[in-house]
Amino acid sequence: MKRLCLLFIGCILLAGCSENTSEGKGTFPEKNIEIIAPASPGGGWDRTARSAQRAMNADGTVEEDITVVNKPGGGGEVGWQYLMQQDAHFAALNSSLLITGPLLGQTELTHEEFTPLAMLSTEWLAVAVREDAGIDSGTELLEQLKEDPKSLVIGVSPSLGSGNHLAFVQAVIEYGIDPTELQFLVYSSGGDIMNALLGGHIDVTSNSLSDLSEQYLAGEVDILAVTSPERLDAFPDIPTWKEQGIDMEFPHWRGIMGPPGMSEEEIASWDLYLSEMVETEEWQTDLENNNLEEFYMNSEETKEFLQDQNEFFEGIVEDSGLTP
Amino acid sequence: MDVNIILDGLWTALQPANLLWLLLGAVLGTIVGILPGLGAATGVAVLIPLTFGMEPVSALILMAAIYYGALFGGSRSSILINTPGDGSSIAATFDGYPMTKKGLAGQAMSIAAMASLIGGVMAIFGFIFLAIPLANFALNFGPAEFLLLFLFALSAVVTLSQGNIIKGFLTMFLGLGISTIGVDLQSGVHRFTFGLPHLTDGINFIVIIIGIYAIGEVLYNLLKPQYSGKSNGQDIGSKWFTKEQWKRSLAPIIRSGPIGFFLGVLPGSGGTIASLLSYSTEKQISKNKDEFGKGAVEGLVAPESANSASAVGSLIPMLTMGIPGSGTTAVMLGALVMIGITPGPLLFENSPDTIWTLINSMFIGNIILVIINILMVGMLVKILKTPPNVLYPIVLILSFLGAYTLGYSTIDFYILIIAGVIGLLMRILNYPVVPLILALIVGGDMEQNFQRAMIVYDSPMDILFASPIAIVLALLTVLSLCYPLIAKVFKRRKAVK
Repeated sequence: MKRLCLLFIGCILLAGCSENTSEGKGTFPEKNIEIIAPASPGGGWDRTARSAQRAMNADGTVEEDITVVNKPGGGGEVGWQYLMQQDAHFAALNSSLLITGPLLGQTELTHEEFTPLAMLSTEWLAVAVREDAGIDSGTELLEQLKEDPKSLVIGVSPSLGSGNHLAFVQAVIEYGIDPTELQFLVYSSGGDIMNALLGGHIDVTSNSLSDLSEQYLAGEVDILAVTSPERLDAFPDIPTWKEQGIDMEFPHWRGIMGPPGMSEEEIASWDLYLSEMVETEEWQTDLENNNLEEFYMNSEETKEFLQDQNEFFEGIVEDSGLTP
Repeated sequence: MDVNIILDGLWTALQPANLLWLLLGAVLGTIVGILPGLGAATGVAVLIPLTFGMEPVSALILMAAIYYGALFGGSRSSILINTPGDGSSIAATFDGYPMTKKGLAGQAMSIAAMASLIGGVMAIFGFIFLAIPLANFALNFGPAEFLLLFLFALSAVVTLSQGNIIKGFLTMFLGLGISTIGVDLQSGVHRFTFGLPHLTDGINFIVIIIGIYAIGEVLYNLLKPQYSGKSNGQDIGSKWFTKEQWKRSLAPIIRSGPIGFFLGVLPGSGGTIASLLSYSTEKQISKNKDEFGKGAVEGLVAPESANSASAVGSLIPMLTMGIPGSGTTAVMLGALVMIGITPGPLLFENSPDTIWTLINSMFIGNIILVIINILMVGMLVKILKTPPNVLYPIVLILSFLGAYTLGYSTIDFYILIIAGVIGLLMRILNYPVVPLILALIVGGDMEQNFQRAMIVYDSPMDILFASPIAIVLALLTVLSLCYPLIAKVFKRRKAVK
């Protein structure tokens, strides 16, 4: 019995060696592809990563196995630090937190260190009040805040400096209100926010439309404005900020990036995988189920987009009074 | 309520495929519940990819079965080897482990399973009749009410700690201190993170629980002077509980079900608070006060019943409003959205059949779980016959494995070891552990709600009188703090007479 065991272990070790020796030549990809979700299972990043995995499998352009690994912590930073040490077979999801992190002084890691691969999806953010709040439009809300910035309690999640928070900050700045005068309560999740809003513990929230839509359709909350450039097909009754005279657009995007120093070929391969992936039916269905919008950009476009976003957030973080 | 919909739901739940998923979920749930660190949330998360191809209703049945299966399983390791796998099974160590030491392990496990069943079934009835009004009631809990609820839970548990109350307060403050690690939501300031990104979300309390109990237990046994290589060698006792035990248990089980159910509906750490509060309630009203902590069957069944009921309760805000109240329900919500069920007010209106199938399958699942758990008693008690030099290495491996799956980070290993040493010291110096753990679990939420309350209310006094709920909770807090004093006065009077 013991001998058998030893033999077995020996075989495994041998198999392990032979796999190692075959590495190093050949073309990309030469082993499994790993998508890093820098968050716990169940959240937005995790869901996007798993949708991508499922769609890439269905598409079949990638022949190797695709796995999703969760590296939660630090608003994405744990996962991104992990990506820094990997090769081109790894890619991690990102969002505006990648850009706001260094601007808020929370980390030294900037988006420039990574290789942008693609933008994947976006959701639009919206401002909501309780149905019986007596506020009928975005401008009415801003007018009330201008008269008395402390008259309403605003709930945001998951942190100050998050997209949800900064989207509202941008709107009030456009209207000429000092955002540092406002009363923000921070909650850890969109669910907690909805609890507090329905229970009357906060008056206003700025949140992603998907976190608000269920209660909106049930008639419990009113949505006053959405940050999209035009009205959304799914919610034709919700006006944009733009048409209420507030000149702003605020996508809450999710993208994907690779480790530093990827070669042209590797980037080209990823461009191919991801452009095919977003065409699949699986991907489209998942976008719909999660109330997300198509937002695909290839690696070139993503690079430019991230630079634009960096400039944009630099301005808004400064105005918000959050700069360290 | 339409009887036809209920029967349709029963019919769907009884479909062979759904029964199979239910059985699978129940078995898997029990297993992840027994293993330290692998709680229901992990169990559900691992299965998410599997649910993609499934009927939405079957997926819901599977995930719910894992959830309450894990709660059934959770108390097994508490009873057998004094190592709870998460917060909600801590209370099962108080009297469950002493019962094992007395040679009543089999009876402890079978009656705990019965208590879970009855608590769960009571809560299912509560779900049927009270889901929507209760979800609305829970909305009344704002910053002030949550702050006072957590204060009450802490004060009730600290005054409960045997012997030295000052030691109880000391460990509570240690727990509150640890809970401040991480980013402060209201200001965005990083506290005690030492530049480690992993610590920005704070220390996971389950790592501390595993460290203090499992690692602490192993270290303690290593250091015991009379250490010998052979098994603990207790009697295992009968599988079946006695009539007398049943008689003593029934009332506590029935009292604790509703406590657990109501606390489960409130967002937060329902299971832990529910089981600890029901334990303290039973201890205060029981005729056999002195037996508590020494293997009183009441002290085991009460938290088990409450815990199981709180799981059903915590499904209410998730299903009726789309608001998850616990880690597990948050993972479930994410998975449900992916397969096309959107929990929320419209789910009850648009597809009541889904809800009723779930309710019926929860009934069947609870009964299946009792059978599984009683069948497993014979197998599980073998753990007691395992010699320590085999058992403890296994416990160590499972502990590290469990800690890793919580955060996928090796930093948790160091935290685990530090917590183990703290647990060892607390045991040697006879400091109570429970105040520390509860403080750690509720501390973060309590502090954030305190900060929110200070922004919303003008003065601290306004917090105490914020609402009728707040006043009641404030009174309960004061009462529970004064209780030991009052009890002493009464005792003295009796002695004088």
